[in-house]
Amino acid sequence: MKTGWIALACLLLLLPVSAQESLGTKDYVKLLSVSPVSLGSGKSGTVSLSFRIVPGFHINSNKPKAEYLIPTTLKLSPPTDISLAKITYPAGQEETFPFAPDEKMSVYAGDFVLTAKVLAIGSVHPGTYRVHGELRYQACDKSACYPPRSLPLNIDIRVQRAAHRRGYR
Amino acid sequence: MVLVAVLLFAASRVAQYRTARAQERGEAIPNAMNGKQAPDFALETLDGSKLKLADLRGKVIVLNFWATWCTPCKVEMPWLIDLQKQYGSRGVQIVGIAEDDSGKEKIAAFAREMQVNYPILLDEGDVADKYGNIENLPTTFYISRNGMIVESASGIAGKPDIDAAIQKALGAGVGEVKTAGAVSKERQ
Repeated sequence: MKTGWIALACLLLLLPVSAQESLGTKDYVKLLSVSPVSLGSGKSGTVSLSFRIVPGFHINSNKPKAEYLIPTTLKLSPPTDISLAKITYPAGQEETFPFAPDEKMSVYAGDFVLTAKVLAIGSVHPGTYRVHGELRYQACDKSACYPPRSLPLNIDIRVQRAAHRRGYR
Repeated sequence: MVLVAVLLFAASRVAQYRTARAQERGEAIPNAMNGKQAPDFALETLDGSKLKLADLRGKVIVLNFWATWCTPCKVEMPWLIDLQKQYGSRGVQIVGIAEDDSGKEKIAAFAREMQVNYPILLDEGDVADKYGNIENLPTTFYISRNGMIVESASGIAGKPDIDAAIQKALGAGVGEVKTAGAVSKERQ
C-alpha cells in the first residue's frame, strides 16, 4: 500500500508543468543556438543567434511602435581583442492583439534570429575568446504583460592563425 | 513523514500544472488573495506625499497594478478614469500602483498624458509581493469598504467586467457594514 502511494506520488511528480512553468520566474525566451564563428586576425565574421519565444507569448521587436514600449536589445561585451561592429535585428511582425484590436504592434513571436558582426583586431593571438552578452526583452501574452527580463548568453569566437584563415570576412 | 512531504509536493505540482493549463486556455485563475484582508502598505504618490491603504478604509478601493511598458494596462486606463468619475461620489477610489523602474518622471508624464484622475503610487515590488508576487500586469484587486478583497482580475478585464467587480465590492461593503456594527462604528 505504502509503495503504491509512493509510486502514485512519483507519477504525479513527472507531470509536465507545460511551457508556462512557474509563471513569473521563468524566461519567456530561450537561446536555441549560436552559430560557430572563427576568424583570422584582422578579419570580421558574422555570428547568428537563434531564439525561441515560449508559445503563447510575444516580445516587442527592436523597433516597437510606441515610445513607452521596451525594445528587444542584444548587448554584447567583447574582450579587448574582439570588437563588435554591428547587431542586426529582424523586422518585427505587425500584429494586433485582443487587448488592443485597433493598434498594430511590432513584435517577435515564435523563432527569431539576430546577427552580430564581430572583428578580430590585427594583433590578436589565436585562441577562443568568449563574448558575454544578454538579450533584454519584455514579454506579453494575449491579456497581460510581464516585467522586462534579461537572458544571459555567451558567444565563443575562435581566432585562428593567419595561415589557417577561413573564408570569413 | 517522507510520504506526506512527497504527497504535498506532488499536490503542489498538480496545482501548478492545472494553473498553467488554465492559463494556456486563457481562463481566469482564481486569485489566492480573494476573500482575504487587503494587506496594508504606505507608498509615495507622484506628488511626493505618502498614501496609506488604511487611510482609505471605508471606501471601496480598486487597486490596479500597472506599468508604463504594459499596453493592456494602457488600454484599461481610460476605463478606470471613466469609472472613477462614475463611482467616485459613491465612495469608490481607484488607486494605480506603478510597477515600473522607468523612474518617477516618466511615470508622471505617462499619467499626465493619459489624464489619470486617481492617485498613482510608486512601488518597488514590495507591495506586489504582498499581494501574491504579482508579475502579470495589469492585475486589479477590488476591496470592500471593510478592507476585504472581494474580487480580483489578472490581465486585462473588459470595462463591463471592471464595472461589475466595482458593484460587487460596493455591495459587499454595504452588506458587511450593515452586519458588522463594530467595524462601521470604528469608521465613524
